[in-house]
Amino acid sequence: MVKKLNKHSMHKKTAGLLALTLAGTALLSACGNNNNNGGDTASATSSASAAPSGKAITLKVEVFDRGNAPDGMSITNNYLTKFVQDNFGTPNNIKVEFVPVPRSEEVNKLNVLMASGSDVPDIVFTYDSSTFFRYAQQGGLTDLSELLDQYGPNLKEFIGEDTLAYGVVEGTQYGVPARRTHLGKYSSFIRTDWLDKLGLGSPTTTDELYNVLKAFKEKDPGNTGGKVIPLGMTIAPAQYEPLIWSFIQPATEEELYTLTSGTRDLPILLPGFKDALQFMNKAYNEGLMSLDFGLDKDKTKLGQDVANGLVGFYSEDDMNPFYKDGSVDTLRANNPTAVLSAVDVYTNSEGKHAKPEYTPIGMYLMIPKASKNAEAAIKYLDWMASGDNLFQMQNGVEGENYTLEDGVPVTIADQSDEFRNRLYNQGDMAIISNGKSLGSADLNVEAYVKGMPEANQDETRKAMTISRSDTIKPIRFDRPIESQAKYGTTLQDKFEEMLVKTTMAKPDQFDSTYEAMLKDYMASGGQAVLEERQQAYAAMTK
Amino acid sequence: MNATRYIRRYWQLYALLVLPVLYFAIFKYGPMYGVIIAFKDFNFFQGINGSKWIGFDAFREVFAMRDFYKTLRNTLMLNLLDLIVSFPAPLFIAIMLYELRTAWFRKLSQTILYIPHFISWIIIGGIAYQVFGTQSGMLNNIITSFGFDAVPFLTNKSYWLITYLAIGVWQSAGWGTIIYLAALTGLNRELFEAAEVDGAGRMRRIWSITLPSLKPTIVTLLIINIGHMISIGFDRPYIIGNTTVREYSDVLSTFVYRVGLESGQYTLATVVGLFQAVVGLVFVLGSNYVSKKLADQSIL
Repeated sequence: MVKKLNKHSMHKKTAGLLALTLAGTALLSACGNNNNNGGDTASATSSASAAPSGKAITLKVEVFDRGNAPDGMSITNNYLTKFVQDNFGTPNNIKVEFVPVPRSEEVNKLNVLMASGSDVPDIVFTYDSSTFFRYAQQGGLTDLSELLDQYGPNLKEFIGEDTLAYGVVEGTQYGVPARRTHLGKYSSFIRTDWLDKLGLGSPTTTDELYNVLKAFKEKDPGNTGGKVIPLGMTIAPAQYEPLIWSFIQPATEEELYTLTSGTRDLPILLPGFKDALQFMNKAYNEGLMSLDFGLDKDKTKLGQDVANGLVGFYSEDDMNPFYKDGSVDTLRANNPTAVLSAVDVYTNSEGKHAKPEYTPIGMYLMIPKASKNAEAAIKYLDWMASGDNLFQMQNGVEGENYTLEDGVPVTIADQSDEFRNRLYNQGDMAIISNGKSLGSADLNVEAYVKGMPEANQDETRKAMTISRSDTIKPIRFDRPIESQAKYGTTLQDKFEEMLVKTTMAKPDQFDSTYEAMLKDYMASGGQAVLEERQQAYAAMTK
Repeated sequence: MNATRYIRRYWQLYALLVLPVLYFAIFKYGPMYGVIIAFKDFNFFQGINGSKWIGFDAFREVFAMRDFYKTLRNTLMLNLLDLIVSFPAPLFIAIMLYELRTAWFRKLSQTILYIPHFISWIIIGGIAYQVFGTQSGMLNNIITSFGFDAVPFLTNKSYWLITYLAIGVWQSAGWGTIIYLAALTGLNRELFEAAEVDGAGRMRRIWSITLPSLKPTIVTLLIINIGHMISIGFDRPYIIGNTTVREYSDVLSTFVYRVGLESGQYTLATVVGLFQAVVGLVFVLGSNYVSKKLADQSIL
């Protein structure tokens, strides 16, 4: 490498080396900011004091970390972790340890945990069905059938047979799906004060809606100075799914099973899908939508625009706008005369307000094969399902967090922060139930309603009624669609791309854009999903 | 000289070398073991050894994917544009800083230029949306207040390219000057004085003294950059990019993230990684060879 070293070239080499070292440092420091935001994974509860005889076992349970722990608490050490330890752990001589996983990187972090083998928690979970199926098929999960019979009678009863069936892969119970208590998804919302100002009635069909949106645009009843966004839109499902499904033509069961695609059962090949995109295209090109809707993946911008009184109409997860200090509260603070009401507008060719509903399950709870504490894990879930443990975990202490009214726990409005903070992550700790669980759908809804600020309770009730009516039941195959697990994320991305591209195309380029995007979708895995769904449907109905 | 004397004389140098060698052994050579995942149907419950050998099947699968070629094209395109736009920027800035005579002003400018390098891409992404948004971005608010049409900086693929490059320059140019300034500190000021006496103007001095003395550094950095042509950081295209411009913003690293990590197909991700490494090596050796021939400068 070094041939002859006269003084001149020596100098050159040093300069080069110096540069290299510096470049190396720059690279290193650039790579070095890969900070682990998992937080403190260390010991959770150290209160295994008066344990019964024998050596205590340590049960590790995954918990979502949303980075929102109140002062003086951490995700691994808070009111609920102590509640679990005192009421389940200590009496059973079990030390319950919580393993935080960042909510936004749920699947990636879980993959890493699962791959680590020995270090994996005893109870893990995911919302992603593909991930669950993959773990099950690759042999990474414990068979739960016997364990459930032996140690989980209360759990089985709570979850129910129908829901448990979602945790069966190829005949084996590999997971326990959490029970979802409220199946409604979406409602739409409109600024009724704008309607009143323009002397318009509330729209009841998609055509009427279009005229109202036009009027919002032209007459600007909110005096936004031209910034009005008549139709609030994003690339999150809550905004586009109700719109798209209202354009889908009535279909047979077979069509519904085979011509939908991806883990969200997108109606890409069903008749009417193109009409939905055409409507979006028209609305966009006539200035009825935000020019930047394609940038808004997490609904942040939409939420701001609603709160700032720019949005006239939009659809959203039914109770999302009504939380304390949420969009509606902020909107009212900004403009005391503003009224945002829940309405059911999008209408299909049969006159129904068709919209998807949730599958009756929440997260898939799983016990990795590497776990040595499967028995304790099932016992923990069974404990949660028995007595009033779940109720206490979800609602806290009577008289401090809630009062009972007709069997419905009503959140005490002016409780101290100390009490309120107890339940800050109850949704992530009460893993067997997705949503408040009181025994019937109406009671569950009422529990949500009573949890909202008083001024928003009527509208919340309305929205949660709308979200449960005219719903389209989700599709359930009796086997995993493997191509969906494989291409799922790609197809979801392709779908979003199709949505924004066709919407933002010039009207005369709509057809060609649609054709090109559909072709791309099919070639990137859509075709494989279609064929597998056809086979699976044929096998299922044989 | 015999071995003992050699070791006695130079052991300090070898001791200094131990840490870097360990670093490379542990963090660069060690993980190469994992490359065999590319030739296995990797199942992480069975581990690397337990998984089945599949030969080149995974390579065939990757090379048959449409998105692979699209992301490969985008990676090369974005890197090439970056090389043209972002590579010379630090050089210009370094020369300008070097020409500054007021020490405090030079230091102040240098610090201000460095700062963007220390801002996380997530935050830069947030700033970009606030500044470049079509509907309510700061820049477009100004443009529309003059009666012009809003410019879709983030949602039109051609404008997006410009935005992407501009943000890149803003973020990295200041930091890049460090290397050039370090090389310039070794430069003898007397050369400039002599040139000035001989009547050379500022441009002449830059052209005949500053630039030639930076040549080894420029070549070194150029070769390193060309070696990285095929690999691209994840943060910048992923965060600055969005669904509307995915045709350009989807690159190999985001492809690996989506197909490999999000869908749990580690075999495919490893195949792409290996492919990038091999092509990168060819690029480095090639550019090194060319530079040796043309400019008599090389790093190997």
